[in-house]
Amino acid sequence: MLRITGGRVYDPANGIHGEVKDVCISDGRIVAEVEGTGVRTIDASGMVVFPGGVDVHTHVAGAALNFARAMTPENQREAVKFIHSPELRAGIGGITPTTFATGYLYAGLGYTTVNEAAVPILSARHTHEELRDTPIVDKSCCVLMANNELVLDLLEEGETERAKQVVAWLIWAAKGYGVKAVNPGGVAAWKWGKDAKILSEPVEGYSKVTPAKIIASLAAIVNDLQLPHPLHIHCNNLGAPGNISTTLETMKLLEGYRAHMAHLQFHAYGGDGWNSLRSEAATLAEYFNAHPNLTADAGAILFGNSVTITADGPWQHLLYQLTGHKWGNLDVENETGCGIVPYVYKGSNLVNAVQWAVGLELLLLINDPWRIFLTTDHPNGACFWRYPEIIHLLMDVDFRRERVRKLPAKALKRIVLGDLDREYTLSEIAVITSAGPARALGLSRKGHLGPGADADVAIYNENPDRELMFRYPRYVLKGGQVVVEEGAIRKVVDGREFIVHPSFDENIEEYLRPLFEQYYTMSFDNYPVEMHRVEGADIRECG
Amino acid sequence: MNRADFIIYWGGNPADCHPRHFTKYTLTPKGKHVPMGRKGRTMVLVDVRETPSVRAADIFLQVRPGKDFEVITTLRALVKNQPVDQARVAETGLTLAQLQDLVGRMKNARFGVIFFGMGLSMTRGKHMNSAAVLALVAELNAFTKFVCMPMRGHGNVTGADVVMRWTTGFPFGVNLCRGYPRFNPGEFSTVDLLVRGDNDAALILGADPGATMPQPAIDHLARIPTIVLDPKVTRTSRLARVHITTAAMGISAPGTVYRMDEIPLPLRPILQSPYPTDEVVIRRIHEQVKAKPAWLPASFKKVPCA
Ligand SMILES: [Zn+2]
Repeated sequence: MLRITGGRVYDPANGIHGEVKDVCISDGRIVAEVEGTGVRTIDASGMVVFPGGVDVHTHVAGAALNFARAMTPENQREAVKFIHSPELRAGIGGITPTTFATGYLYAGLGYTTVNEAAVPILSARHTHEELRDTPIVDKSCCVLMANNELVLDLLEEGETERAKQVVAWLIWAAKGYGVKAVNPGGVAAWKWGKDAKILSEPVEGYSKVTPAKIIASLAAIVNDLQLPHPLHIHCNNLGAPGNISTTLETMKLLEGYRAHMAHLQFHAYGGDGWNSLRSEAATLAEYFNAHPNLTADAGAILFGNSVTITADGPWQHLLYQLTGHKWGNLDVENETGCGIVPYVYKGSNLVNAVQWAVGLELLLLINDPWRIFLTTDHPNGACFWRYPEIIHLLMDVDFRRERVRKLPAKALKRIVLGDLDREYTLSEIAVITSAGPARALGLSRKGHLGPGADADVAIYNENPDRELMFRYPRYVLKGGQVVVEEGAIRKVVDGREFIVHPSFDENIEEYLRPLFEQYYTMSFDNYPVEMHRVEGADIRECG
Repeated sequence: MNRADFIIYWGGNPADCHPRHFTKYTLTPKGKHVPMGRKGRTMVLVDVRETPSVRAADIFLQVRPGKDFEVITTLRALVKNQPVDQARVAETGLTLAQLQDLVGRMKNARFGVIFFGMGLSMTRGKHMNSAAVLALVAELNAFTKFVCMPMRGHGNVTGADVVMRWTTGFPFGVNLCRGYPRFNPGEFSTVDLLVRGDNDAALILGADPGATMPQPAIDHLARIPTIVLDPKVTRTSRLARVHITTAAMGISAPGTVYRMDEIPLPLRPILQSPYPTDEVVIRRIHEQVKAKPAWLPASFKKVPCA
């Protein structure tokens, strides 16, 4: 049993905004009160107490990230090293951290839950193996679905009910938690070297299926299956000048459904070419603010090295042509694919300067912090361990303006960031880093400090230098255990994995089995991930 | 299987080395978008000698040994309509017409794929050859969809590579002597360590270096305490100080094998074995090693983690 006392508590989900109060913990959960002897006390005077961070969209495990690790030994060379000790495993931090290091780095930042946002079903077994080797944090997976030909073929034939059954079966086969749509139709088209740029045009290889149909159908299916997290969508035309129209069109298709818009920064551009690229964050925010069915994560970028990894193969090919840098491409049979390109965002580059501003503008212009969350689409926009830099920019308008002034003069005409004077409060930071994403993911025991919640707590020294404050928590607790103290890992605990079990008609297997035998290189019986491979599975029945 | 209508095997002999590759993955199957199966595909074999794989090929291009890099570079030039030197082309053992025909076919493919084997990646030019193939394939994507894949060696080498990457950040040639992973193939690769005699013990799992490595490396293995975990007697187990017989993976032990395309497959045992699995043995060794005092001095200061 444990009592955290004297700290200013930020628990916005329970309406607590900086009051000095005790947080009590027993058996890994938050409780109203602890009594008797044997209660350990943490004196948090002069500190702030947050619910542990929740990352709604990150890429920390699986085939694509692991491919990126192999592609960039030069990055690993200059990255932070983790020396093994009786408690810790050796590893490497940096842009694509190794699995053990990923757990240490997230916990070291005060984050205790992460959602791996792009899992191909065919290699989901691999993703779960990596997640098992990612300690401390709890995890969940979004399964890639919008280019899966089993699903697309059914939509082509108008068999929506059967498509729903197949989606449910696939989620369970992958031991996933949510459904992710990446560039709907575009990745399937990329297998023919094409893209899907116009939402109303049939996808290459189909006559009736359009990106619009895929988006609307999947949103409806996820809704019907009563999954805790709504459709998680990466819009078409990621990163392209003028893509604001596609993004708005996508959001209109989603009216009437809940949906989560991933890394919105990459989807809020105006202009008709790289030379005329400009921010459309204000247009996007205006629509978004009026549509409470939507949540989003920022996908902000920071200047410096990154590796871009996405299931958006065609975009990655374009990026390779633009940069002449290394390019890796993976096609995953009939399901999805991905591209990998190392990238350096430069403050002196006009396009990068606009991108940097757009991420922050969205965070500032979307006025409900419960609907926009802090992410960098790690490692695409920047690494997750750089979140404190963004928090600093959000909380300090003078610091932000000073940074804006350093941008190329041409960029200033294409952004509105310099005019925005909103400053985030600590409570709002607790919302965008923890309470909000937990709610969007439907994780009722995460993101708050009320009785019954998992005792995941981040305690920071109050410090006017917000970057320093959030970079080195004084204590981090996971499930009631002190895992980080003064920036060092004290104790390594195992994380759990959240998975959903949507209800489906078992007979769907009779439909799928022959298709597998015909079109897959893996046998039907080998395809579903066995439950014993999922470490600490926390299963939620749905529907 | 479902898409490729144009397939090149370069520097490999899948008919003997990957016997299921033609029938299960690439040539024979009737694919979703290649409903005619073998009739809907063209297969080109590029190699320095005639192997049993030639029989399966539509076109066989015999390259002079050591000239692969020159051929690939010429193809890259032709893809971009650059002029090429006829005399130089002749040195490769192929004619300009043959290469022009190949480029034409590559550009006209709907979905092309190059599988490259150790005849390319382990002969003169080595990684330069692989890099050239990767560049050629990347550039072909300006015209049509093209991909490539290495044909790896035997056993679960891909699985080892994949796990090394997620645990250490590097695929092979990893040195943990300083307590964190360092990568330098040519310095830390097993064969280099052994030839130099750097290591003073060896634990060998799922490999038989005694059968494949150069003699100085084998001599060093015989000199030092070498421990082999293997279900059967091998060249290495014969020279080892200790051979622990383990259950055979996939026959009497469960596990995971990664295919060459890095897709993991579960292995289900069909027999019972009286021997422990590799995993059980390694865990028991690890328990014993862990019980020893840490190698870091007590005064060692930890690096902050974030
Ligand atoms: Zn992402």
